[in-house]
Amino acid sequence: MGLEVTGALPGMNSGLNADDPTVVAAFRAALLHQGLIILAVFAVLSIAWVAVRRPQAGGAAGGSAAVPEPSARQVLRIGFGLLWLLDGMLQAQPRMAAGLPSQVIEPTASSSPDWVQHLVNWAGTTWSYHPIQAGAATVWIQAGIGLWLLAAPRGAASRLAGLASAGWGLVVWVFGESFGGIFAPGLTWLFGAPGAALAYCAAGVLVALPERSWRTPRLGRVILAGLGLFLAGMAVLQAWPGRGFWQGISGRGPGTLAGMVQTMAQTPQPRVIADLVSGFGSFTGRHGFAVNLFAVVVLGVIAVAFITGRPALIRPALAAFVVLCLADWVLVEDMGIFGGLGTDPNSMIPMALLAAGGYLAVTRVPAAAPALAEPAPAAAGVKAGGPDTIGAGPTGSWRDRLRPAAVRQSAATASFGTMVSAGAVAVILLGAAPMAGAQASPAASTILAQAVDGDSVPVDIPTPGFTLTDQHGRQVPLSGLRGKVVLLTFLDPVCVTDCPLIAQEFRQAGQLLGGDARRVELVAVDVNPLYNELAYTQAFDRQEGLAGVPDWLYLTGSPDRLRQVYQAYGVTSETSPGGAMLAHNDVAFVIDQAGHLRQELNFDPGPGTAATKSSFAAQLADAATQLVGAS
Amino acid sequence: MNASRCAAAALALAVLAAGCGSASRPARTPGPAAVPLSLTTAVTGSGATWAAVPMGAASGANQFWELFMIPADGSQWSLQTPPDIATNGALILGGQAGQGIVVGERPSLYLTFSAITTTSDGGNTWTTLPPVSGLADVPDALGVASGGRLIALSGHQDVSVTRAAASWTTLTTRQALAATPAARACALTELTAAAYTPAGSPMLAGTCGRAGTVGIFAYAGGTWHQAGPALPAALAGQPVRVLRLSQAGRVDVALLQAGTGPSAGLIGAWTSDGGQRWKLSAPFGLGGAYAVSASFGSDGATEVVLSGQRGETLAGPGASWRALPPLPPGRTVTLALPAAGITDALAADGSSLTVWQLRPGSAAWARTQAIKVPIQYGSSS
Repeated sequence: MGLEVTGALPGMNSGLNADDPTVVAAFRAALLHQGLIILAVFAVLSIAWVAVRRPQAGGAAGGSAAVPEPSARQVLRIGFGLLWLLDGMLQAQPRMAAGLPSQVIEPTASSSPDWVQHLVNWAGTTWSYHPIQAGAATVWIQAGIGLWLLAAPRGAASRLAGLASAGWGLVVWVFGESFGGIFAPGLTWLFGAPGAALAYCAAGVLVALPERSWRTPRLGRVILAGLGLFLAGMAVLQAWPGRGFWQGISGRGPGTLAGMVQTMAQTPQPRVIADLVSGFGSFTGRHGFAVNLFAVVVLGVIAVAFITGRPALIRPALAAFVVLCLADWVLVEDMGIFGGLGTDPNSMIPMALLAAGGYLAVTRVPAAAPALAEPAPAAAGVKAGGPDTIGAGPTGSWRDRLRPAAVRQSAATASFGTMVSAGAVAVILLGAAPMAGAQASPAASTILAQAVDGDSVPVDIPTPGFTLTDQHGRQVPLSGLRGKVVLLTFLDPVCVTDCPLIAQEFRQAGQLLGGDARRVELVAVDVNPLYNELAYTQAFDRQEGLAGVPDWLYLTGSPDRLRQVYQAYGVTSETSPGGAMLAHNDVAFVIDQAGHLRQELNFDPGPGTAATKSSFAAQLADAATQLVGAS
Repeated sequence: MNASRCAAAALALAVLAAGCGSASRPARTPGPAAVPLSLTTAVTGSGATWAAVPMGAASGANQFWELFMIPADGSQWSLQTPPDIATNGALILGGQAGQGIVVGERPSLYLTFSAITTTSDGGNTWTTLPPVSGLADVPDALGVASGGRLIALSGHQDVSVTRAAASWTTLTTRQALAATPAARACALTELTAAAYTPAGSPMLAGTCGRAGTVGIFAYAGGTWHQAGPALPAALAGQPVRVLRLSQAGRVDVALLQAGTGPSAGLIGAWTSDGGQRWKLSAPFGLGGAYAVSASFGSDGATEVVLSGQRGETLAGPGASWRALPPLPPGRTVTLALPAAGITDALAADGSSLTVWQLRPGSAAWARTQAIKVPIQYGSSS
C-alpha cells in the first residue's frame, strides 16, 4: 500500500500496476465483447448493402473516376488514416488501461505549468476511475477515425472524417500530450514538439477543407510556409544558448539531447534498436556541439526552402526533411511504439506526411472539375457530393433526404466505401458510449477494487452478536440494527495507513447510497484494544470527517469484550514490535436486514488513491443497494 | 506575407517564447540558522533515563522511532517502544517520574492527531491518555507536571492542557499569546516549546522577531508574562532562538542560540523559580556548526550533539561548556546522562543501536552494548 499521489496530478494514478492481471483481463474482455458487436454491425451493414444496392452505370466508382482525388489530400487522408489505425492498435496493448495515465500522461504533464497539470489531471482522473471503458473507448475511437478516413475518399463523409480526426487529435494533444509540451521546459522539435497529435489535427483540418481548396497551389504553399516558419522557430530554439543542446556532456551527466536519447534507449524494445539509440546517445554525448549544429543548420535551410514555395527548392528540401524525420524517428524518438505503452509513432512520421502533402499540393494540382467542386442542384434522385458520401442521394432539404424513398435510394446507390464509413462511425460511437455511460457515475469502476483484493465471498450465515459502545457512549447491540443493512469493518483509531482509507471508503459509500443511506448502517469496531477509549474513536471520527455522519457507528469496549468480537469474526489483532502499528486484517462484512452475513470482502485498500477509494466505496454501495433493493 | 503566413509566424513565435521562457529558478537552500533541532533526545529522572531515537530508514514510512530505557541502577539499555501504534512520526518525551514516562506520538502518514501513552513501570505496561491534536515538530511539544497535568504544543501552534486524564482544553494560541503585552514586546513569531515550572506553572518558549529578546513566557495570575533571561550586552543585538525548554528535575533548562551563521553561539540557561532568576552559561561559539540535538540530565545537565560528529556538555546550572571526544559513528547519535558524570552515546544505524559510554576522566568512548531492533519495514507503507 502506498500513499496517495499529491500535487497537481492527484487523480492521475489508479495506483495499480500497469500489468495488473485483473485489469488486463477485463480490458481484453471488453475489447473482445465490443469487437464482436462491431463485427456484427459490419455484418449487418454488409448484408443490407448487398441486399439493397443497385449497381451504378459505369461501375462502382461512378463519376469519381473522372476526376481523381487531389494527390496531396489523398496522401494526408490515407497516411493519417493508417496512423489512426496503428494508434488504435497500440491503444489495445494490455498495459494501456491501467498504465496510460500514470506512466504516459502524468510524466508528460509533470514538467508543464500547474494550470496545464490541473487540466490534464481532470482527464487522467476520468481515465483512472474507469480504465477499462476509457482504454476501450480510445481503441475504438482511433480505429474508427482511421477506418473512416480510409473508407471515405470524397465528399461530405470524407470531410467529416477529417473533422473527426482534427477534433479527437485536439483532445489527445491537450489531455494526452499536455499541449505537446509546448509550455514545458526543454521544448525541442527533435523530441516531438509541438506534439504528434497537433499534426493529426492539422491534417484533419486539411482533409476537412472543401475539395476546391486543393485545385490551386496556394494551399500547398501555405502548408509549406507554415511548416517552414515553425521549423525556423524550432531551429532558433535548438540554437538558443543556455538550453543545454550544445553540450554533449553537462557537468557529470549527459547534455540535454544526449540525456533525452539515453532515456529513450532505456525503453523495453528489440535489442538492435536499443543498441542503435544508445549508440546515438553516446555519439551525441561525445559530439554534442556538432550534432546540434547539424540539426540547427538543416532545420534552418529546410525552413527557408519551404517558406520560398519554389518547387525547385522544395523538392530537395522535402527529401532532406523526410530523411531527417526518419533519422530522428529512429535515433531520437525511438519510434515511439515500444515499451507496451507507446501510443503512437510520435511526431516525425506525421510531420513528414504533412510536408509531403504540402509538396504535392504545390506540384500536383489536379485539373479543375467544376461538377465535383461545386455540385450543382440536381433533380431528386441524382447523387451529389460524390459517390462515397454518407447521405448522398437526393438533393434538397435534409427533410427531403430523410424521406423513406430518398433513404432507400441513397442506400441503393451507396458505395462500399460509404458502407464502411457508416461502420466506422458506428465503431466510434460504440467505443465512446460505454465511456460516456461510465461518466454518469460519480464513483470509480469496481474493477479497481477487484484488482486489489479479488472478488467477494458470498455467504449466508447468522452473524455473531455483540454489544459495544458507540462513539457517543451509547450501548449498541448488533441485533438492534436489524431491519437495516449493516456494512461492518474493523478499524484501529491510531492506524496511520489502511484504516483511514477504509473509513473514507465507508464514508463515500454512504454518500453513494443517496436515499438508501438511511436503510444502511456503517459500522466499525475498534480493532486496537489498547486504544479503546472513546476519546480515540472520537478523535478518529473527527480526523476522517465522520463525526457528523448520521448512520456511522464506531464501536469500542473493554479489551476482553473486543477480543471476543475479533474471535467471533475471525479478525486478527496482534502487537508488532519495533514501533510498528498493530497488525490486523482489513475486512468488511455485508450483513442483511435479518442479521445474516451475506458477503465477506477482503478490504485491504491497496494503493489508496482517489480511484481505488472510490472503487471500494462503489463496491460497498453496490452490495448494500442489492440487499436494500431485495427487501 | 498573407494572413496564413502571419498566423503560422505567430504560432512559431509563441512556441519560441514558450521554450525560451522556461528557464528554471535556482533552488533556495536554508542557512545554518534555519536547521531545526532534531527530535531525538534523552531525559533522565530519579528512576531511569529514556531516549527517543530514529531508526530504520533515514526518513519516510520506514523510519521508526524507538524508545530505550536504562534504570538508574541498571547498566543495560532496553527497548521499550510503546506498542500498538506506528512511531513513524517521532516520539516526544513528555517528562518522567520514577521509572515512568509520558510519551506523545507525533502525527504521521494519515494519522493527524497525537496519541499519548504512559508507563509507570519501565515500559512493561502502557496505558493511554486522551489524544491531542497533532504535536508540533519540536522536541519540547509535550510537558508534564505533577498530578497528571500535561501541556502540549500542536503543529497549529495551539497550546492545550489536561489534568488527570481529562479532556484537553486550549490554554492559548500563538496568535493569542502574541497579542499579550509580554509577547508584543518580543514580536513573537512562533512557539517552539511548552513546559511546566517545578511549581507547576505553564511556560512557553518561542522565537522573537526583536533581536536580543529571549522568547520565554510564564503563566501566572491568569496572564502571560515575559520570563526569558536577559542576555549579556555582547549579544544584545543578536536574534535569539529558544532551541529547547524543558523541566529537568528541580529546574527548567533552556538551550538558546544567539546570532546566525558562523558567529552564532549556544547558551545554556537554568531557572528554578519560573523564570524570575536565570543562570546562564557562557556562550559557546558554533563557528559555522549547528546544534543537531540536545538532551537533559537530572537537575539540568545538558548535552548537545553538533554537526560534524562533535558533542558539547554542560554539567549543570551555570557550568562551562566542555567538549566531548569525537562522537562514535552512527547515522544518528543521541547523548544521554544515565548517571552523574557518565555520558552514553546511542548510535543508531538502520535497525542496530550501539551504546558507547564515556566515563569520568576517560578521553575515549567505550562500546558497552549492542541492540538489534526488530523493525517491521513496510508495515507503515
